[in-house]
Amino acid sequence: MQERKTFHAVLSCVKALVVLLAALFSVGASSSLVHAADSGLSIDISVFDQVVVNGTTERQPVPGVTVLVKTEAGVAVGEFVTGTGTGTVSVPVPEKAGYTVELVLSSLPSGMSLIDENKAIAVITKDAFTTSNKKVTFFTGSVGESGASAFERIAQRFADGVRLGLVIAMCSVGLSLIFGTTGLTNFAHGEMVAFGGLTMFLFNVTLGIPLLIAAPFVVAIGGLFGLAINGLVFAKLRNRGIGLVSQLVVSVGLSIMLRNIFLYQFGGRTKPFGDFSMQTAKSFGPVSMTPRDLTTAILSLIVLVAVALFLSRSRTGKAVRAVSDNPTLASSTGIDTQKIIRIVWFAGGALATLGGIFRGLDEQVGFDMGSKLIFLMFAGITLGGLGSAYGALIGGFFVGILVEMASLVVPAELKAAPALFILIVVLIVRPQGILGRKQRVG
Amino acid sequence: MDWLKILENTVSSLVGIDAAYFALAALGLNIQFGYTGLLNFGQAAFMACGAYGIGMTAQYFDVSMWYGIPIALAFVVILSLLVGIPTLRLRADYLAIVTIATAEIVRLFVRSVRFKRFFGGSDGINSFSTQFRDLSPFDPSKQYGFRPFQYSGYTFWTLIVAWCLVGIFGFVVFYLMRSPWGRVLKAIREDEDAVRSLGKNVYSYKMQALVMGGVIGMFSGMVFALDRGSVQPDNYSRDVTFYVLTALVLGGVAKVSGSIVGPMIFWGLYVFSDNTLRELTRDGGISVFGVGLLQKSQVGPVNYMLIGIGLMLLMTFRPQGIFGNRKEMALDGR
Repeated sequence: MQERKTFHAVLSCVKALVVLLAALFSVGASSSLVHAADSGLSIDISVFDQVVVNGTTERQPVPGVTVLVKTEAGVAVGEFVTGTGTGTVSVPVPEKAGYTVELVLSSLPSGMSLIDENKAIAVITKDAFTTSNKKVTFFTGSVGESGASAFERIAQRFADGVRLGLVIAMCSVGLSLIFGTTGLTNFAHGEMVAFGGLTMFLFNVTLGIPLLIAAPFVVAIGGLFGLAINGLVFAKLRNRGIGLVSQLVVSVGLSIMLRNIFLYQFGGRTKPFGDFSMQTAKSFGPVSMTPRDLTTAILSLIVLVAVALFLSRSRTGKAVRAVSDNPTLASSTGIDTQKIIRIVWFAGGALATLGGIFRGLDEQVGFDMGSKLIFLMFAGITLGGLGSAYGALIGGFFVGILVEMASLVVPAELKAAPALFILIVVLIVRPQGILGRKQRVG
Repeated sequence: MDWLKILENTVSSLVGIDAAYFALAALGLNIQFGYTGLLNFGQAAFMACGAYGIGMTAQYFDVSMWYGIPIALAFVVILSLLVGIPTLRLRADYLAIVTIATAEIVRLFVRSVRFKRFFGGSDGINSFSTQFRDLSPFDPSKQYGFRPFQYSGYTFWTLIVAWCLVGIFGFVVFYLMRSPWGRVLKAIREDEDAVRSLGKNVYSYKMQALVMGGVIGMFSGMVFALDRGSVQPDNYSRDVTFYVLTALVLGGVAKVSGSIVGPMIFWGLYVFSDNTLRELTRDGGISVFGVGLLQKSQVGPVNYMLIGIGLMLLMTFRPQGIFGNRKEMALDGR
């Protein structure tokens, strides 16, 4: 154990040195871009690690972290590295103007991550320079060696995994049911999730309507969006008798189009909602969570149970499952298949939208928030069984937990890789998924 | 509006390096998607195999860049096995899901800090192409050709090599698809069960098609990397595959001519739209009745939006593209 610690210490020293050297070179290369004349102005950037010891928070400076400083126009001022001992670097800047300071997440020592990864970019406005130097501080929480015990770390990851899993499950029910009822593998489903987050941003931030009041409207709009996609695109394709593989390619085109409409309208940066964006985490046993995250987790659970009950108990729900199982047979028993398909698209759109709102509360909103999730959603519904609604619930939930738990062992930037691993193993061992019927899938 | 400049750029992009590497990628994708009916949505990953193969060899192993070709081939085979073994027995859409996921993971993998010492992280690998440059018989400081086809010596050299590769692989694919092997592939696309009942090992043929298409995709990645003189992980994002797919469908699926002319027209249209929009927004954005319609920074997304719309419309109204035969687009197999 002792040797391991020494080894880690040596390793992090070496890493710090490498980062320092790299930064030195890049500073030399890029400092010519914006000349920092002797204006006396500076931005003091610090990185501190917060460790909770016996209930009190201690802060320790983190050296060797790379930060990128850019002007408002995006011109690099340079790359800097926080100093040994102080965890601070003072960056001279030529004038009082807007700057962005980005912490390079990958330069954090291993096991450390920002308390809020979305705050890796700090924006400084011109007016923020009240004195000649402006302080910017980043806080990290050690996931690794210091502070939390192994049990606490596992519990925390598990709790985060449950939250992610609930959102993935919610988003993928529609994806799986759309597949079951129409046979379409909808690659544009992620964009429905992003649509939810972005529409809520429009209501909450642009129009200033409180999130809780706007939420039901946004979810309804999301449902209508789903209906519109079905009515304007896929119903037309089905009527023209266009094959499923061609429909799949069309959904890819739709996904590219929608994502770029979002980018065109919303811009490339992620932004938070107006409400509930600033909250401090509270401890619940070994797990710490913000009240917001706890609420969304409970709400997701309620929604998912309601969906499961709707599918198993209500007449419409049974009809949905019947069409999903075998459209031809269902239609011959007098079920209006087209109506069921419309219901599935509406419900799928509404659930994806709600998932997008929750995801936006959790991580901020971005134009590509859905396309980042789609692959986890596919892994989930493949694991659960393509076309099965309950399968999507179980599979999505499991994939969420696995992805978060995996970040205990694999680097955070690769935490999606285990989802691919599941996908491959499931397809080799049990291609019909956990709840899929054993039939020929080839 | 400088229409002459726009026209010039458009015409020169028809035979530009972008069209050439897209044509190679499309030829590969055509074997999989067009002839065999395999939905490979991860062609970008195969391109990355080629680019990183030569980049890594030159940078880290201290041997000639050309050893990168066998290394890249090994990458392609490993990647094909990884995505092919679990999915090729299953319905077509499983391969789509797994390849799109794999391409994304490959990109995350090569840009990760953990493996930075092999792949160079998000900066990629730079300045490895000197050996290729040295082979160039043209003077790098001179301009060759005539307007609008005027290039510096190195670009001219890369272009010639790239289009020669397109020509060679065009012939290879053309004759392969007329061989008994190619006829089996087309038969698999039409009716897998029928082929199986004739005693052919469908699984093995599909795997061969996947590797063959991947190898051509690999050369596409190499051409791209040699032209830029660098390998950047974000050049191999999943959307690249879809742009290649759009170019292929535009030209005509299951046609060699389609997969070469398609990318040329694709890039012509793209450059025309991009240049026109940029000219329009050069002196500030466009606005109608005071509503800002298009800013300079929004030109990129609008171009890609048009690609998405184009792909949808093509698949709906003219799935055979310009040269294709509608009968060959019977991609209905579930």
